[in-house]
Amino acid sequence: MQPMLRGIQVPEPSSRPDEATSEALLASIALGSRDAFEALYRRTSAKLFGICLRVLPARTEAEDVLQEVFASIWQKAAQYDASRASALAWLTMIARNRAIDRLRALPTGAQTTPIDLVAELTDPQAAPLDDAERAADRERLDNCLHELDTRRRALIRAAFFDGSTYEELAVRSGSPLGSVKSWIRRGLLQLRACLERP
Amino acid sequence: MSGNDPTSGDGDRLEPPTDDLLAGEYVLGVMDAGQRRSVQARIAADPAFARLVAEWEQRLGRLNADIAPIEAPPHVWHGIRSRLGWATRPARASLWQSIGLWRTATALAIATAIAAVIVGRVPTHVSQQPTVALQPATAPVTTLARDSGVPGWLASIDAARGTMLLVPVPAPPDARGRVPELWLIPQGKTPQPLGLLSRNRSHAIVVPAGLRAALKSGSLLAVSLEPPGGAPHGVPTGPIVAKGVIQL
Repeated sequence: MQPMLRGIQVPEPSSRPDEATSEALLASIALGSRDAFEALYRRTSAKLFGICLRVLPARTEAEDVLQEVFASIWQKAAQYDASRASALAWLTMIARNRAIDRLRALPTGAQTTPIDLVAELTDPQAAPLDDAERAADRERLDNCLHELDTRRRALIRAAFFDGSTYEELAVRSGSPLGSVKSWIRRGLLQLRACLERP
Repeated sequence: MSGNDPTSGDGDRLEPPTDDLLAGEYVLGVMDAGQRRSVQARIAADPAFARLVAEWEQRLGRLNADIAPIEAPPHVWHGIRSRLGWATRPARASLWQSIGLWRTATALAIATAIAAVIVGRVPTHVSQQPTVALQPATAPVTTLARDSGVPGWLASIDAARGTMLLVPVPAPPDARGRVPELWLIPQGKTPQPLGLLSRNRSHAIVVPAGLRAALKSGSLLAVSLEPPGGAPHGVPTGPIVAKGVIQL
């Protein structure tokens, strides 16, 4: 019999926390293991800090949100459901949501740099992927993004990476709010249809 | 800059988004503070909507791969510890290991354990085992002693329901990062895994139906140190650090 935690089959762990999967670490954290928590922090804090900093360019805000994110991971580890998302996906979404919530609470708002809806945008911070399955997933999303027209793609990328609201995107792109909403909604539907194509 | 698109609708003529699009917009991050709060409340209350959000997180989350990791400064880790109330040192070991204190504190510990189960942050334990919280004060207690003789854990066993409440005596973590795992050893048999134990929180353990017959006087409860996640093949791989014979 393998140890079961809340119905999750715990993946076979290695002998040290630093070698255990992040999913196994979350299971241990749910049981109150501070060692597992520290190991998870060592493993994922740089990635989550990168995500916070991307949305919140002010370092002090990003650092504060990162602390909030890990405090929340300690408290919510038992809610993690390995059948629904990888540990990293779950953690990055917590970080992203906390960062956007903080951004909304700041008087400064999101980035104000103009968005060029005609030129091709590439992300300057693109990082290499360490895992073949995730790289394949990522490539599929890229292909689907490239099926969108430049305008929809540029807006969706700017929205995701900068955490800009519809209103901010309208100002940044110099387009009417209604058009921006419509382009993004159609873009999202087109993206979903493409990703669901067998 | 591109101007208005003659083929797309204007704000006034846009239909309200479907739930699916609403979930997509939330994950994309285009909502203002008020909309985000109302969507977050809905995620908490509406599982079907929460699933739509999770699906969009799966689709768009792949973009997070594009964001490069950036090392966080060391004070962030200290800040997290202090937010969790870990900044201060735990109570001195000699006090915790005092058997005299332990004897008088047993009832208190059980009471604390009951409170921990009731208000604990593992809701599934509470919902699956509501009766655990009501019973332990009258259930027999087995002490799992360390080699030095001091208690390591206290097990309050409810054989009829096949559950037990484990109360740890706080102890420093294993230097090699191993975690405690509980085993039930019926007389003359091999150890059967019962799951990981917390070092610092009380929690319930549910004994699998097939092992409940062994929850009787004379069977041994033992704790070994195992890799995080538990012994990989259902047999103990690390040292036994605490044990006690069940007395019902």
